[in-house]
Amino acid sequence: MKIIINKYSKAIIASLSLLAVVSCSDPWDDHAKSSDENLKQNLAERLTSIAETSEFGKLLTETGYDRVLANTKSYTVWAPTNEAIAAVPASELDNLESKKRFVSNHIALTAIGSVSNQDTVTVQMLSNKYLEFIDGSVMDGAAVVIADKYTSNGLYHIVSSALVPKSNIWEYIKSMNGSNAMSTYLLTLDEFNIYQTDSIAKATAEVMPGIYSDSLSNSYLKNVYNLNNEKNKYTFFLLEDEAFNTEVGKLEPYLIKSNADSTTTYASYFNVRDFAFHKSVAQEQLPDTLVSRFGVKVPIDKDNIVEEVHLSNGVLYVMSTMDVPLETRLLTTKIEGERPTGFSQSDKRANTYYREKEDLDGVAFEDIMVQNHGVPLFSIYYRASDLYSTTYKVYWRVINDIQSNTFQQRLRIGGWFNEMGQFVNEIATLPYTDVVPNVYDEVYIGEFYIDQLGSNNNELISLIAANSASNGVNTLSLDYIKLVPVIK
Amino acid sequence: MKLILEKNMKTMIKITRNKVALGVLVTLMSLTSCQDYLDIEPKDKLNSDQVYRDVFDADAVVVGIYGKFMGLAKKYIILNELRADLMSPTANADMYLQQISEHAVTADNPYANPKDFYEVINNCNDALKNFKIMVDENKMDQGEFNERYSDIGTLRSWLYLQLGMHYGEVPYITEPISDIDDVQNENLYPRLSLTELINELVDFTEGLPYTSPYSANSTLVIDVDGYNTAKFFINKECLLGDLQLWANHYTQAAAHYKTVMETGSTGADAFYYDTYRVIYTLPNTVDIGIEYERNQEQDVRSLISSNSDGWRSIFAREQDARWNNEWIWSLPFDSNFAPQNPFIDLFSNQGGDYLVKPSQEAMDLWDGEAQRNGFSYDARGSKVSYHVINGQPVIMKYLFKYLDTDSNLPFDVFQTGGDWFLYRAATLHLRYAEAANRDNQHRIADALLNFGLQSAYTVDGVTDVTDIEQTHQPFPYDFDARQGDFPFFRGPWYRNNGLRGRAFVERAEVLGDSLTSIENNLIKESGLELAYEGNRWGDLVRVALRRNDPAFLADKVYEKLYKDGNPKADEVRSKLMNTDNWYLPFVWKEDE
Repeated sequence: MKIIINKYSKAIIASLSLLAVVSCSDPWDDHAKSSDENLKQNLAERLTSIAETSEFGKLLTETGYDRVLANTKSYTVWAPTNEAIAAVPASELDNLESKKRFVSNHIALTAIGSVSNQDTVTVQMLSNKYLEFIDGSVMDGAAVVIADKYTSNGLYHIVSSALVPKSNIWEYIKSMNGSNAMSTYLLTLDEFNIYQTDSIAKATAEVMPGIYSDSLSNSYLKNVYNLNNEKNKYTFFLLEDEAFNTEVGKLEPYLIKSNADSTTTYASYFNVRDFAFHKSVAQEQLPDTLVSRFGVKVPIDKDNIVEEVHLSNGVLYVMSTMDVPLETRLLTTKIEGERPTGFSQSDKRANTYYREKEDLDGVAFEDIMVQNHGVPLFSIYYRASDLYSTTYKVYWRVINDIQSNTFQQRLRIGGWFNEMGQFVNEIATLPYTDVVPNVYDEVYIGEFYIDQLGSNNNELISLIAANSASNGVNTLSLDYIKLVPVIK
Repeated sequence: MKLILEKNMKTMIKITRNKVALGVLVTLMSLTSCQDYLDIEPKDKLNSDQVYRDVFDADAVVVGIYGKFMGLAKKYIILNELRADLMSPTANADMYLQQISEHAVTADNPYANPKDFYEVINNCNDALKNFKIMVDENKMDQGEFNERYSDIGTLRSWLYLQLGMHYGEVPYITEPISDIDDVQNENLYPRLSLTELINELVDFTEGLPYTSPYSANSTLVIDVDGYNTAKFFINKECLLGDLQLWANHYTQAAAHYKTVMETGSTGADAFYYDTYRVIYTLPNTVDIGIEYERNQEQDVRSLISSNSDGWRSIFAREQDARWNNEWIWSLPFDSNFAPQNPFIDLFSNQGGDYLVKPSQEAMDLWDGEAQRNGFSYDARGSKVSYHVINGQPVIMKYLFKYLDTDSNLPFDVFQTGGDWFLYRAATLHLRYAEAANRDNQHRIADALLNFGLQSAYTVDGVTDVTDIEQTHQPFPYDFDARQGDFPFFRGPWYRNNGLRGRAFVERAEVLGDSLTSIENNLIKESGLELAYEGNRWGDLVRVALRRNDPAFLADKVYEKLYKDGNPKADEVRSKLMNTDNWYLPFVWKEDE
């Protein structure tokens, strides 16, 4: 074998040297080496070391947020200058808790640069507040002095004033407890249940504290809007005491309960529920009328705005007067025929028709018809919630289009079945009304009067067939019922 | 190997040292580079001499072509529906889908690329050429050849008809070619106008030796993976009818269609009265019409509409007797096999991309109908063909096997099975009626469209039906729909209920000229009944060309764009008033 090596040694040496030449450099190492000094420090190290944010750096160390900013996640910090920190009211920084709140309102757990294709970026801060970063140059009203400085775990912008955390609308209302009648009333709804179901919600909020619990803990937050929610924006009108009492007084005659306290509580609720609106509306853009989520048209007179308070989840206007006329405040109740809550007996499904038809003008409608059921006084049940203590005029639209004969049906308002199975405590029963074939008009069928609201104010409405077992005669049909309250 | 090695060792000892090295090298070479190794045949590819050896190879070729053909499903639906008036792009759709909808297609539009059609055509050409060689070399018998050759030949004609109606002028290539990009070379392959193409297709397809479906004992008709393959293959008589209808040869078209319509009368069909006859619905039986629970027609919620009963079940039911009564050509997509079902991504907003939706025009079309119970719509629309899910109108025909219609959520996001719907009894009846109407058989056309033959030919109060309830005409217009007890008659068509009868809608009235009015009714019905099954563009082009009235097509596309709020509606209408602008550009990039 020695001979072979001798013979071919030149070639072997040549190829070995070639290999050595090829594999001596390591371009990958060169590639991965970083020469950027910025990336040698993390946010905590940087912000505590540079001079222009040294005051904020001190706060970071004091609150422990320097450890948060040493994490390997990506953060953005809007760091206020030392002058800005000096201008912060002392009350915002008087204990560790408020300092933490203050510092966390400057940090977001995402890298957000000043360049974006959106003009406004809504940023969730560690304080759980949502701040608006506009055009990369203004953060929640504070001008950005130096933008887009980066470190190993995120970036920071230096801002000319501090981002003092604002209260939200509900926190503001809480702070007014005792000094403002409307705020005081709203907080009583922590305890008082406007509807029976509120108590279940409040119990749930207690046993399962979690993301939804604040929306369940108060009857107002549950039934109107969750003003404690930072993710949405609201407009809220807070009335001064005199205005509030006037409005409650106007509603009291229509919400008469068994005692005066109860009456006032309900009159107050039906008053305040119309003063919160979804979306934050700036004063210059306020229209002359806003429609509440319950359908009430609320006139807005800007001259009566006493104070405009910008809060973290919207805007609150303190009002000297807020006059909502009863004509728009008292709502008509409309009950759709095709949405019954029950029947006098449950075995007539095959005779119950949910229909989708058109009237003579080609306008579509949906209704219910129960035909050929063979039961005298067969009834369909509906619920009318939030009726007022006043006279109601009753209208219905009933379509009799597949029969050639007229049939009769009637309405009964209120009442319930007692343990004996007897029907008791009805408010009124309207007379039998003819349903003539092929009439598509809304018809006035009578009126009833509620002098005092029950404990639940969730009245049973019964649509009752003729007292006959004959097919065609005991038919029931209903497109809708309208209950129109009359102003006293 | 050991032997060789030993032998080499012995030789080595004898030779000089210098030669030892060479000897080792040679030995090494002979060990590693043996001839067999270089010549080994790939295990996942076939050479040309390995296919076309016997009838089973031929079957594999047929199945392979259909597998490849299924890759065209998405394009077929996009081109035939989105270019017409019943389908609109959603906000998720890309600019290429918008272009298709607005008839402003650029050369790089992937949906308008005809190359994949030609790839399948080339496969067909290759198969047709080799089938001939096989029969010449006695590798399959004449009967086997006839069935397979006619099947692939008809499929190729179908592909060309599609190309013709979308591209106007296309090259008609019937020999296999090695470079598919040559198709674009007009010097090699001159292009035929749509009329010339259709004449060529009629000549070729009428000349095929076999026109029935594969015989029941054919090796291609089997149960595989839970599917019976009989309806996988194109129905030749249906395509012949279509070609003759496009060629305006109405009697011939009607004859081909009628042959299929009489499928139940031939052989020992257990569903003599039902197969392809569009029959009535009966209370308390499983039917494929719009039907309410017995005596509850007035109740919306009594509509029978499930995957196993009612009109909706046409698109969702198992391959049972009722399925067989309706479906003539349908190919299944299965989540376990390629090709993947393209329709979930296309249509569903639950686990899909939701790229297309029903146009407002289509929804208005259904809402403008009246049902026979007085309801002010056609339940084939919002109750079946589309549903509103999360506020978005979603085309449902392809999704019933995927979405649970109670929760509007997928049964299982990985079970993406479905079907490509190609031809069914309703399609057949509408096309037959179109041919019959043009052949001056207005009454028959109107009967099949509306409430069926018996009700059109009966005489009130007559109980002896010996001489009534039938057309008294020769083939292809012979229908016997007699139903009488004294004397007893049950004509083969006595159960026919007409398409609108089966759909429970009021009759479509004939206003003015019977010919035009009934034809309008038929095309409208095709929209109501067959929406999103890929027939719309062809229907509009065929009738507009026949009437020499581009407005017939242009107005419908205009209505769609206008109602969708598309500002280009007017511009597109005036463009489509020139028939030259109906067609897509015939180009593709060669390296794609």
